[in-house]
Amino acid sequence: MKKVTVFLLLISINLISLKLVSAQSKAEVLIRNATVLTAAKGTLENADILIQNGKIARIGKNLRASSNARTIDATGKFVTPGIIDCHSHTMMDAVNEFSYSVTSMTRIRDVLNPTDIAIYRALAGGVTAANLLHGSANAIGGQNSTVKFKYGKPIEDFVIPDAPPGIKFALGENPKRTNFNPTPGATPRYPRTRMGVMEVIRDAFVRAREYKKSWDDFRAKRTTVQPRRDLELEPLVEVLEGKRLVHAHGYRSDEHLNLMLLADEFGFKVATLQHALEAYKIAPEIAKRGTGASIFADSWSYKLEAYDSIPYNGYLLWKAGVVVSINSDSNERMRRLNVDAAKMMKYGGVPEEEALKMITLNAAKQLGIDRRTGSIEVGKDADIVIWNAHPFSVYSHAEMTMIEGEVYFDRQQDISKRAELARERETLEKMDINRPPGSGGTPPAIPKEKRQSHLDDADSDKDGGNRQ
Amino acid sequence: MKNFILRFYIAIFASFSLGLSINAQTRTETFAITNARIVTVSGAAIEKGAVVVRNGLIEAVGANAKIPADARTIDGTGLTIYPGFIDANTSLGLAPAPAAPQRPVGQVGGGQLAAQTSQPQSNSNYPDGLQPEEYAAGKLKAGEAQFETNRNAGFTTVLTVSRDGVFNGQSAVINLAGDTVSQMIIRAPFAEHFSFTTLRNGQYPTSLMGTFSALRQMLLDAQRLQTLRQAYDKNPRGIKRPETDKSLDSLLPILNREMPIVFNANTEIEIVRALDLAREFNLNAIVSGGQEAWKVAGRLKAQNVPVLLSLNFPKRTAAASPEADAESLEVLRLRAEVPKTAAKLAQAGVKFAFQSGGMTSINDFLTNANKAVENGLSKDAAIRAMTLSAAEILGVGNRLGTIETGKIANLTVSRGDVFSKDKTITHVFVDGKLFEQKEKPKTTTPATGGTQPAATATVGGTYSITINIPGQPLEGTLSLTQQGEILSGSLQTQLGTTPIKDGKVTAEGFNFTTTVELGGSTFNLDVSGRVTGNQISGTMTTPQGAVAFSGTKTP
Repeated sequence: MKKVTVFLLLISINLISLKLVSAQSKAEVLIRNATVLTAAKGTLENADILIQNGKIARIGKNLRASSNARTIDATGKFVTPGIIDCHSHTMMDAVNEFSYSVTSMTRIRDVLNPTDIAIYRALAGGVTAANLLHGSANAIGGQNSTVKFKYGKPIEDFVIPDAPPGIKFALGENPKRTNFNPTPGATPRYPRTRMGVMEVIRDAFVRAREYKKSWDDFRAKRTTVQPRRDLELEPLVEVLEGKRLVHAHGYRSDEHLNLMLLADEFGFKVATLQHALEAYKIAPEIAKRGTGASIFADSWSYKLEAYDSIPYNGYLLWKAGVVVSINSDSNERMRRLNVDAAKMMKYGGVPEEEALKMITLNAAKQLGIDRRTGSIEVGKDADIVIWNAHPFSVYSHAEMTMIEGEVYFDRQQDISKRAELARERETLEKMDINRPPGSGGTPPAIPKEKRQSHLDDADSDKDGGNRQ
Repeated sequence: MKNFILRFYIAIFASFSLGLSINAQTRTETFAITNARIVTVSGAAIEKGAVVVRNGLIEAVGANAKIPADARTIDGTGLTIYPGFIDANTSLGLAPAPAAPQRPVGQVGGGQLAAQTSQPQSNSNYPDGLQPEEYAAGKLKAGEAQFETNRNAGFTTVLTVSRDGVFNGQSAVINLAGDTVSQMIIRAPFAEHFSFTTLRNGQYPTSLMGTFSALRQMLLDAQRLQTLRQAYDKNPRGIKRPETDKSLDSLLPILNREMPIVFNANTEIEIVRALDLAREFNLNAIVSGGQEAWKVAGRLKAQNVPVLLSLNFPKRTAAASPEADAESLEVLRLRAEVPKTAAKLAQAGVKFAFQSGGMTSINDFLTNANKAVENGLSKDAAIRAMTLSAAEILGVGNRLGTIETGKIANLTVSRGDVFSKDKTITHVFVDGKLFEQKEKPKTTTPATGGTQPAATATVGGTYSITINIPGQPLEGTLSLTQQGEILSGSLQTQLGTTPIKDGKVTAEGFNFTTTVELGGSTFNLDVSGRVTGNQISGTMTTPQGAVAFSGTKTP
């Protein structure tokens, strides 16, 4: 009898402590005795990291935490900053607004869906933040959303509040090609050539400049009637004013160069060249302007306009002083960006820390969030991944992923939860409401999830409206 | 002589109009239902009392209500009287819109939203589907016979609006009786309705993102139009005349909070998006659907947003198959959770009303309301959700929703508790007009003309059918969804699944057209048939000839 009581007591204590852990989500955390790849200040052996209020408070040896801090023994483990994917379409209920060649009025923020399971899978691959971009079907696409993957939280918590806003541009094949199956009888959308794409962008900025002038005149009381607010042109005015980052999809370097020249002409800077698989050809021109390159680690020649891409692209860009990041553009590859970074060491020999930066700090720089995340430095957000082995090994996996000191993925917890979920499934499947109809009924549905087989996003039509 | 003829005509005319007024009198007969249990909703239930109905209004109610001498008395022993049930969102009385013509989408650069309607046919510069001024009351079909199925299920009042477009248009609250549209309408327009969907013809918006942007731009343009017009009205001299646009005009009452906007939103994120939009533009919002509303109950309460909660609970329709992927935990959980939503909303203090949500058979309404009760909702709250709460949300609480003197005489009378399985709806009063129900007919007499010439058959359901193609019978599944006279659904065979078009339900049966793909060609099928009990039969006609089909309803 006594034994039973003690047992029950123990259980209840456990429950209470569990509750405390989850309630005090911003509690202190001490990661002990890890190999820390800081992505800024080299690799620290047998180092401790103290996390307070979601921030990295101290880095060093034999750190002390308060008595209620959670201590994680990371002996023999590797710690890196959370991975940042600079080009993703995860957790979006729509990717492309096909209708117009300029769809700058659309906002990814409107269609973010925090329940996408791909978020959790990305966390399991050590990804903590991403640049969520409109698709590449339009010369000027929609407004991006820079988020942290706070899976389980309300959508407003995902959006990084102080991240500068951005916008997607797209050059070349995707915006110009007409094989989007336009409705029968419909006129194919302009433009149909690469020069047409440039004309559309130029035209948009000419209009934006006029629009800006109309507001400047009104604000300076040179005119009396308040101009109409134009949601298409507003974000382009922000680009002209240097307040909005341009992320330009493209493969051919002549086109990327053309866009940078156009930007010079209108007085803004292109933030990143996306994909840019042959950007090594114009590396000095990119470096000179402080533009970033966000590339695939491989996918050489995977489509016609990528024929001149080479494995050494990343290395050559880095060598020329370009801030390079490696992105996934794919829910599936997003989970293995650590391996993609490792490839940069193989081809050309980018140093380890520089390769790590390409999936962490460099992406943060390109997105304007490097003051708060991207490396393990005191004062930054505690966006941290604990790996069982060196993250550049194909045998490594993330054991724990935390954002601002909160654990969003824990491999041990995931494994131990599986039995519980299996039991829940069993119970649910037994319920009348979940039983298949006794006779008749429709045939089982084909799985809804679209299995992406390629990296390009112009055809993406993961569209709330068509899903029904 | 001339005088005589004139007098003769006057006499005839007089008797004619007298006849009319007699007719009218019989319509608004005086009734007294006595010895019944009365669920007033406004106060405690009266265990034994009477309700008196005169001139379409409730004249008296109570244990000791005075029975007028001229009243037709109905002995209500064993009966319960409820306020007439309200279905808080339907498309009753509205014909489905014809398919929108495809428009070319060619354009230069990034045009403006309004620019894509190259030659506006009216003073709206917006395409079909983005015209908030679409007005349900203006599209209603006259005649009360179309509502028989719904009345038989106990419903006296519905909110009705089209399902088409991004803007579904302005809804109407109607009574399910009356020969003319004018007689049916209680309140119109009630609200603007909005769906998180896209245009279907390649025009902007083709994506959900675009839908948000289009809505935002239209609201901003409407605001601007209002400002410009105010300045112009004050002094037009020297000011360019603001363009009129009826689409933008119809958004003004929404922006000015004079008219609510109903967002069709079922999932948590859809509801969050609706709430965010309501906050962004300070709109008086209502959520319709609301399957996962319990997950956002706190915000719904905080923003004071009521829910038109669908009782069309998700159910598994897929047959068992060893080859299929297991259903996701999410789906399994959702089906278990949705019936609990009403109780959770009640607990959180969120105002809600029940709606049918496009269910196949309107009889599921009460069955599923009962499921909500089994999942923790009080019976009183359930009744309220289909009477007073619905009336209040729809802005007609002063006229409908309770059994009180002076209110519209909409009553639903049942034998047995309305949530019990063996209940029977015995009488339905709409605007004081009695629609008597035949209590569970023992013999199956086909409804042939006679007393109910225009009544529609009840054909909704899923049927396993065999199409008797000579030498090669073809198995299939016919899913029929009936809403009044309108039939929708699909035909599924090994040749594929095709939606049914132009579906109609008549007194005798149903007919629709569909297509079949065979050997790369598309064949049109004209289908007609009838349902007797759980048996279905009929013919399918192709240009090549006709074949018979028959089958049974699957439970």
